[in-house]
Amino acid sequence: MNFFARFAQNRGALVGLIILTMIILMAISAPLLFPESPWRMVQRPFLPPLELDGFPMGTDTMGRNVAAGLMHGAWVSLLIGLVSTFVALVIGVPLGAIAGYYGGLLDDALMRFTEFFQIIPNFALAIVLVAIMQPSVTSIVLAIALVSWPPVARLVRAEFMSLRHREYVEAARLVGQSNRTIILRQILPNAMSPIIVMASLMVATAILLESSLSFLGLGDPNVMSWGYMIGAARTVIRQAWWLSFFPGLAILLTVLALNLVGEGLDDALNPKLSRERS
Amino acid sequence: MLYARLIIMRLLKAVIVLFLIVIFNFFLIQMAPGDPAAVMAGEAGATDPEFLRQLREQFGLDQPLYVQLWRYISGIATLDFGYSYRQQMPVFDLIMDRMPATLLLTGTAFVMSLGLGILAGSMAAARAKKLSGSVIMALALVFYATPLFWVALMSVVLFSVQLDWLPAYGFASVGTGYTGFALALDIGKHLILPATTLALFFMAIYTRMTRTSMLEASQQDYVKTARSKGLASGVIQRRHILRNALLPIITLAGLQAGQMVGGAILTETVFAWPGIGRLMFEALMQRDYNLLLGIFFFSAALVILFNIITDLVYGLVDPRIKEAS
Amino acid sequence: MKKTLTLAIAAASIAATYAWAEEPRSGGIINTVIQPEPPSIIAGLHQNAPTQTVSGNIYESLLRYDTDLNPMPQLAHDWTVSDDGLVYTFNLHEDATWHDGKPFTSADVVFSTDVYLREMNPRTRTILSHVESIEAPDDHTVVFTLKNPFGPFLLAFEAGTMPMMPKHIYEGTDFRDNEANNHPVGTGPFKFESWDRGRVIQLVKNEDYYEQGLPYLDGINWHVIPDASSRAIAYENGTVDVLPANSVENFDIPRLSELDNTCRTEQGHEYFSPFAMLWINNREGPMADKRFRQAVMYALDREFARDVLWNGLGKVPLSAFGSNASFQDDSLPPYDHNPERARELLDEMGYDGEEVRLLPIPYGETWVRWAEAVKQNLQEVGINIRTQATDVGGWNQRLAEWDYDLAFTYLFQYGDPALGISRTYISSNIAKGSPWNNVEGYENERVDELFDLAATAYPDDKREEYYHEVQGILHDEVPVGWLLELGFPTIYSCDVKNLVTTGIGLNDGFKNAWLDR
Repeated sequence: MNFFARFAQNRGALVGLIILTMIILMAISAPLLFPESPWRMVQRPFLPPLELDGFPMGTDTMGRNVAAGLMHGAWVSLLIGLVSTFVALVIGVPLGAIAGYYGGLLDDALMRFTEFFQIIPNFALAIVLVAIMQPSVTSIVLAIALVSWPPVARLVRAEFMSLRHREYVEAARLVGQSNRTIILRQILPNAMSPIIVMASLMVATAILLESSLSFLGLGDPNVMSWGYMIGAARTVIRQAWWLSFFPGLAILLTVLALNLVGEGLDDALNPKLSRERS
Repeated sequence: MLYARLIIMRLLKAVIVLFLIVIFNFFLIQMAPGDPAAVMAGEAGATDPEFLRQLREQFGLDQPLYVQLWRYISGIATLDFGYSYRQQMPVFDLIMDRMPATLLLTGTAFVMSLGLGILAGSMAAARAKKLSGSVIMALALVFYATPLFWVALMSVVLFSVQLDWLPAYGFASVGTGYTGFALALDIGKHLILPATTLALFFMAIYTRMTRTSMLEASQQDYVKTARSKGLASGVIQRRHILRNALLPIITLAGLQAGQMVGGAILTETVFAWPGIGRLMFEALMQRDYNLLLGIFFFSAALVILFNIITDLVYGLVDPRIKEAS
Repeated sequence: MKKTLTLAIAAASIAATYAWAEEPRSGGIINTVIQPEPPSIIAGLHQNAPTQTVSGNIYESLLRYDTDLNPMPQLAHDWTVSDDGLVYTFNLHEDATWHDGKPFTSADVVFSTDVYLREMNPRTRTILSHVESIEAPDDHTVVFTLKNPFGPFLLAFEAGTMPMMPKHIYEGTDFRDNEANNHPVGTGPFKFESWDRGRVIQLVKNEDYYEQGLPYLDGINWHVIPDASSRAIAYENGTVDVLPANSVENFDIPRLSELDNTCRTEQGHEYFSPFAMLWINNREGPMADKRFRQAVMYALDREFARDVLWNGLGKVPLSAFGSNASFQDDSLPPYDHNPERARELLDEMGYDGEEVRLLPIPYGETWVRWAEAVKQNLQEVGINIRTQATDVGGWNQRLAEWDYDLAFTYLFQYGDPALGISRTYISSNIAKGSPWNNVEGYENERVDELFDLAATAYPDDKREEYYHEVQGILHDEVPVGWLLELGFPTIYSCDVKNLVTTGIGLNDGFKNAWLDR
């Protein structure tokens, strides 16, 4: 069975993929459908959904179009999720690869370093980092990446440890390939599947993290993200349920979709490998 | 004997890691803009250089950084965690004051999520091909994907405001003068909503993990053997499959337990729970260095402690691990 | 001449007839909230709002003030001012005692003002710089002799500005490290009972209070509830009876106000008159140009902010002097919302789209929303705005180090330009390290001179002349943006009577309050 057939066998994964595609389409079409800034105050505040044409999700505390915010927010949330995951991979993969490949003292040192980051509770560390760097998209992305790379390093290390004595690696070594080439060309491609699966789940976690940070008032005030929308709507949750309902639903669907896709990827990429992660 | 030496080694290592963490955190928070004196002067609504100088002198912030660090570390060596600038109390007393509330909340959530998660997970595994199994898993996935603070808010609106069943916030009703059983009942009522919201997320993880591990374990040879021997499926389920599926769950439980002190910031904020998480957030916002460092120290110590405990439990459940290490 | 005295007695008796229309009943405990939890409740030690609110019921000063800011008796039962405005004599209550039973005497007044507060309170220190000597001719008389007339001197004896601290406890000790700071001892109507950190501060009735029959309440519980929505719910389900200003989000106020048996008042902040402003860093970039600052004023839609964000409460200010401050010149033309005029001014000065940073004040959702609205207003006239997020520490740091372009703040007016307004504009008040002085870096010699003359002129009609001239200059030069005179409503159960009877509001309000249950 090929990759797509295996992926498609998991019905949940298909549903996830469809949802995710829709969210990506939302993000792309936002500037076309709502060319105006989502921050513009365009109608009277607290307009309920479906009351006026052009405001299917109503308006917020200051008369801004919730639908516009939601579409533009899709872009921001996805971007923060993707970029912070990417940064986490950039940190975690090399560290894990080196530790797993070389082993010994180097491995020990790197793993202690990794543990170090895991000893302060994730969310607490993220909050502190954002507070120190002061909230902005960059600081949020960095903070999320800095708290989420250790599991990547551990996973990659485990993969490398199990792969480094495989025959094709030994063969490459005999042929005289450099360690760098072996790591990049021989082992890494074979360790990719669990990394991809983990990455898809990390994007979901990153979106949740960003929304939690925004909820505590540590979001970037220049971009409209879903987390920001819920945080801002929190104080009016009793008067205007729709303000936190729609972005909350959007986060839920996105995270759900990413998880479903992750599981599908896992099935498709590692038909036999166990799924240790949740 | 070997076991005891192992533990001593681990503890020694833990002390070194803690020491490094203290230094790391010390410099980390120095990087935040503003200092406790500036924040307090800011809150005062009026200030002059003399006022700031007095405050910095009182807090010892007028000393060079290395002196401050040395003072802090030598303090910790004698278990003196310093004085909270903002709260005007010894850090140790403040933390000990808030610790029970946090441990009660996270402990309850921990037991709840672990118990219900394993139960739901094994039910889902047993009914893997049935609708009920899929429903459990769908629910678990939804709980996993829902932002925690959102559930917290919604449950307050529903159960406290609309239905008026449960108190919306706080640790206990104030001024009731309850003692004994009545007090316990009162605290219990306040505990339900925050503990449940906090438990949902981990419960979802345990459910999914239990199911996966059990399904995997049921494919293993020894289970097939047991089955071929004609053992009842309930027995197989409990004695063979669940026991082996426990290993990854123990790992996660160890992680969760370690995060008990620092992991409840959002829940404690929404429910006004007087715990460590909230204290930490306030300390950060007020640049209350000593307090923040103290909380970090304790939460790190707890993580390390639970890492060690996890390893020990691991050894008990799976003898192979003990030999390997 | 004892005109101030007669005025005070008249004011007090008017307040009495008005407030005591119903026969007050003793008994009952009021539950309210305090936000954020104060660092201490020692009035002299900390000047932040929550400390002042709680400690104002434990500690007292010589006077208090009605809602028109006329002085009322407190620890001083009467007082006189010499004709040249230089000698202030206070006659103290003879049977006032500290909560530990020791008598309160003039020695405590001299100690508190001349020693304790001169060291501890920067704002009081400035006021006391006008004072030549503080003397106690007998146990119950205190005489303040000023170096020069200082118009607002009689306004300085408010419980938060000039609290009386016990000499027998603090003399010769380190005021900040005194063991007694964990157990406040004042002269006020309520005594400290307990403080369960993170949960509740409990005050109980002072049975030996020197004013007969007061207070009516048996105690006050200040609950610490860190979340605004939780505070609203606590009021709704009856756990708390009183929501002080700023304890719930503005968006919740209309809903809460309409609940059954709920009363609301905007009174009780006349002494403070919080004034929201936009610091404009006059030193650099386009902000150095007067036309840019005027354009900002024209660009702002302040009516929108008041109506949408502040529930229609508060006043759009004309210029630097709020309507509660004395000597306001109300003939100045208002800066209306006029984007067209703003664009013209920007064109005229040749604004090239340089990025301007906007620093919101991190004091809750309303302020964040307001910053978003201001950003939109400014963007609409073509100013290139980027918002900088920050927390309280960062906000203080940036302002104190002048590292900002535009920044939100709000300042108290303290009832007189010399106490609360001049500090923002005089050039001698330009100094790094404080977010509360002349942070914008505005310098104008004539303005300095006028504020100086006005503060020390005597009597009041001479001051008015100077203050009107200075308002004209400031109105034209726009050193800062004047956003809104804030209206802070207090929401409370109608069972609570006589809650807000002074211009200091809840800070000393529970003294006369009683429960009709």
